[in-house]
Order: sequence, then structure tokens, then C-alpha cells
Amino acid sequence: MLTIIAWRNVWRNKGRSGVVIGAMVVGIWALSFGSGFMQSFLIGYIESAIRYETSNGQIHHPSFMEDQDIKFTIGDPLKVVAYLKEQSAVRGICARSLVNGMISSARQATGVRIVGVNPVEEADVTHLDSLIADGEYFSTVLSNPVLIGEKLAEKLKVKVKAKVVLTFQDANGNITAGRFRVAGILHAASLVINESSAYVRKDDLNRLLNINAAIHEIAYITNPGTDDQALADQLNKKFPNEKTSSWQELSPALVFMQQWMGAILKVLIVVIMTALAFGIVNTMLMAVLERIRELGVLMALGMNRGRVFLMIMMETIFLTTIGGPLGLIAGYATISYLGEKGIDLSSYSEGLEAIGYESVLYPSLGTTDYIQIVVGVLITAILASIYPAWKAIQYNPVEAIHTL
Amino acid sequence: MATLIEATGISKVYHKTTVPVHAVNNMDLTIEEGEFTAIVGPSGCGKTTLLNILGGLDYPSSGKVEIAGVDITDMKDRDLIDFRLSNIGFVFQAYNLIPVLTAVENVEFIMLLQKKGKKEREVRARELLIQMSMGDKLDSRPGELAGGQQQRVAVARALASKPRFILADEPTANLDSASTENLLNLMSQINTEQHTTFVFSTHDQRVMDKAKRLVTLQDGAIISDTRR
Repeated sequence: MLTIIAWRNVWRNKGRSGVVIGAMVVGIWALSFGSGFMQSFLIGYIESAIRYETSNGQIHHPSFMEDQDIKFTIGDPLKVVAYLKEQSAVRGICARSLVNGMISSARQATGVRIVGVNPVEEADVTHLDSLIADGEYFSTVLSNPVLIGEKLAEKLKVKVKAKVVLTFQDANGNITAGRFRVAGILHAASLVINESSAYVRKDDLNRLLNINAAIHEIAYITNPGTDDQALADQLNKKFPNEKTSSWQELSPALVFMQQWMGAILKVLIVVIMTALAFGIVNTMLMAVLERIRELGVLMALGMNRGRVFLMIMMETIFLTTIGGPLGLIAGYATISYLGEKGIDLSSYSEGLEAIGYESVLYPSLGTTDYIQIVVGVLITAILASIYPAWKAIQYNPVEAIHTL
Repeated sequence: MATLIEATGISKVYHKTTVPVHAVNNMDLTIEEGEFTAIVGPSGCGKTTLLNILGGLDYPSSGKVEIAGVDITDMKDRDLIDFRLSNIGFVFQAYNLIPVLTAVENVEFIMLLQKKGKKEREVRARELLIQMSMGDKLDSRPGELAGGQQQRVAVARALASKPRFILADEPTANLDSASTENLLNLMSQINTEQHTTFVFSTHDQRVMDKAKRLVTLQDGAIISDTRR
């Protein structure tokens, strides 16, 4: 019957209970949506960086990362690639040759990182082909094709089929140059792709570098849920003469960003939960203060303070069990819809892309996140109801009964 | 008749704005089992304070109260709640039913606190309400009942726990004449047939006329005690 009393008490003032439930729904919705939005921001950025820049891991000569000299090639790349292919966690591998040089058009010249790729492997790992905004992905009809980003194309004032010259130092230390033709222009959020990379066929580059089939970098992508750091450690043990780095090692800024976003999310959670807690405390205190006489009668009749305390707690929990699921449903529905349709931030795209973000975000939230939100709201509600419940049992029955 | 309530030398002093107010002043009072007693007197004479002390709702500043031989003045708050639940029924001036419960649930509620079984609770609650002529209002909530009907439910609630006695603080103060007459007849009948002890505080002449014993207070002391 205590449950019945508590349940019916919730509906004594439908307006007030409605406001609290509404506040919970909005709070939980905001929390779900906020978490989903921020995660999409973060995950989108990290995924974009992993997909187009770092991959899940890279293998180099141990000295290559410190001094990107073309002589630091991987000792036995075929053996490394063969081993990687045996790993079930690895779903894509590509080998690259790399050199820093200059790219020049008839009107401009700038520093660039020249990446020699196998077009098929590269498309498999980085989906570079999907970034073609103009032209074609390594068209076979053109000799010495090169792909460059939109920003770089603008800077060089070149279009598709325009000639550019790549200049760099070969394996013998001689300055060499190669005439290339722009086969495609890439559109990417990544600043590295957009502004400072030129993609050529590995064979073309290696011929100019005079390094035959040598390669500088093997990049691999893994299946979702793979512990990339553990895999990198495993590869380092297997190939001690090479250096394998996970994406976390390759881009500490991403790790920092992940932690920073996590901290912001926690602040957001604390702010929303605090607002929710104050809403609950306020409402339940009102409910207690309005019923001082009734509480006095209950205690006079023989209801002990523990039961009175429990009754007030139950009222709060009932409010939460109504508001919580409604808020979660609202959050889930919003995230599911926007996760499918995306949030188009194209009006801010220039600013977003300037810092490496996609202009369409797809919010997402995992089951664990939803469970955490439910648990968080429940704990908040229980903690918030303690003070009103404690207040309720402080009254002396005699004084409470004679309260007007 | 055996002694049910024995108050010896009880006083209650309130320190309102540091000026002591003697609501009850060194009072001795004995209530026998089966009595139908009205405590009367002008406003502020200490009727309600006395009832609160006799009912274990308030502690006297000095003196002691024994109910059926048990000294309740030294009891801890928790024990006193249990003692009230088993031994004392209350009827309040403002009825004070639980607004979210129906008439039958209000009566059952006391027995629930006594941890009585569901079947026993339901049967007794219905019997009591039928006895109070409330058989057709079992599922009505207090807000749907008239004042006299609410007070009859309150009496049924007070009787539900099978208490040793019932304390009624101005039970007819908010009732019209017909409801008062009806309620007094019911309580008088219960007193006569079941020997349930009733102690009232009242201003109401009709209650005084029905009472078998009249205890008159003035300035926190008994000035007359008449049995009829």
C-alpha cells in the first residue's frame, strides 16, 4: 500500500509532476543528443584521420619517423605484408613510398609530401578514390598521373589535366624532377590531403627515386573493436627491425582530443544532472511542505519515520521511472533519425573543414552510453530525493498535525 | 473497571519567546476502561495538549503517564510509534484521512502498518465501514465525501487497529448538527456495545451531553470531574 500511496501522490498535482517529468525528458534527451553529437564530432574526426591519414597503424624503418630520408626503407616488406595478411584483425594493407619535395605549376610552387601508392591497395585502405571531386582516380590513359587536394590545386592555380612538376632528391642525392599531369582533384576534410599531399603511382615515384621496389611505409586498417595498440606491440615483437606505430602513437593529438572531448562530455553530464537534481529537490520539497499535516498524521497513526522516508523516495523514483524512459526514447529517436539523415552543418563547412571536420555529422550512441545515462539519472534522482525525504521525517507529529 | 490511563503530576511548559507557558500544570487524571469521557474547557485551557500527552504524541515536561500499566513517558520515539499503533486510536478535528486512498484503503492502512494479512484487512475494513453506515462509499476518496462521512471513516480507521482507547480531538467541530448527532450516536453505541474507551476534547455541548464523564479544565488544571 505504501507503493500505492506513493504512486497516487505523484499524480496529486499532475501539473507539477508533469513539469518534473518534462524536465527529466528534456534533460535526458539533451544528454543523449549532446553525447551523440559530441561523439559523432569526435568519432568523425578520428575516423577521418585514421581513414585518410594514419590508418590504424603504420610500419616504417625505425629511423624514418625521425628523419624522413628516402634511404630508410622497410627491410623485407613482402614478409611484413604476408604476416599482416594472416592477421584476422587486419582488413586492408597498402605499401607506400614517400618523399618530401616541391610541386610547381606554371604559376606557383610549394612544398609537398609526395606519396607513391598502389592505386588498388590505397583505395582499399584509405578510400582515396571516394574523395575525387574532379577528374579521375589515377586514370590509365595519362602517364605520370598525380592527385592533389582542392586547396593545393587552388594554390597552384591548376585544374584537371594541368601539368605540374614534382622535384625531390633521389636515392643518390641528386635533385630530380618529374613531369606529372593532374588526373584528379581530391575533396577532403583532412588538411594533410587537401593542402600538402600529392599522390602518384608508386612505380612512377620509385623509378624517379631510383629505389626499385623499396617502400617506406606499410599502412593497415583493422576491423572495428580491434585493440590497435596491442596489435602494434605484437608487430613490433614480430619485426624488431621495423617500427610499428598505432594511430595513437602516430597522432597523439587525436588521443588528446579524445580525452578532451571526454572531459567536456563529463562537464555536460554534471551540468545536466545538477539541473535535474535541483528540479527534483525543488519539486519534492514543495510536495513535502504541502503535506506537512498529512505526514504528521501518518506518523501519529503509527507510520514510522523509515516508511515515511521510503515513501518520499519512492515518489521520486516513480517520477524518474516515467521521465527516464521517455527521455531515453526521445533521445534514441532523435539520434537514430539524425544518425541516418545526418546533421548538415554545410553553412559552417568552410570553418569546419578548415580544422579538419566533415560538414555532415552523424550522431551515434552505443548501448553502454544509454545504460550509463539511465544509471546516472537514477542515481541523481535517488540522491536528489534524500534531502526532501530527510526533511519529511524531521517534523514532530504534533506540530505537523496542527500546521495549516 | 480497571484503570486504563493514569497520568500523575503531568505538566507541559512551552517556552514561547522565552516566556514560559504552562499548558498543563501538575495534573493527575485517571481514565477507566470503557469510559466515555469528555475533556472540556475554554480555548487555551490545555485540552489538546493533555490529549497529545495521553496519546503519546507529545512528552510531558514532568510527571508520568501509564497506559495499561506501561509508562510511556520514558519511551523512545520509535517505541512510542509502535505503542500508539497497537494501543491508541485517533480521531482528529479535520478528519485527516489520506486523500489519495479510498475509504476502505484508509481503514486498511492502519492494519497494514500492523502487518495484518490482506484478507483480514479487507474484511475488517469493510465491516467497520458498514458499521459506520458507509457501506456504499467504500471506494470513495475523502474528497468525494461530506465532512460527516469523512469523520465516520476516521472513526472506523481509529477502531481498525483494535486499540485500547480512542482519543478524539474536537471531532465534531467541523460537522453540522445532523452529522454530529449521527457520529455521537455511533460512538456511543460502540462504547456501550463493545466497551471501547473514548476520550474527547470538545467545546460542543452535544458531546458534553452524551459524555458519561466530564472533566473540566482551566489554565492547565482540572477544576471539576463529574461522572454521570
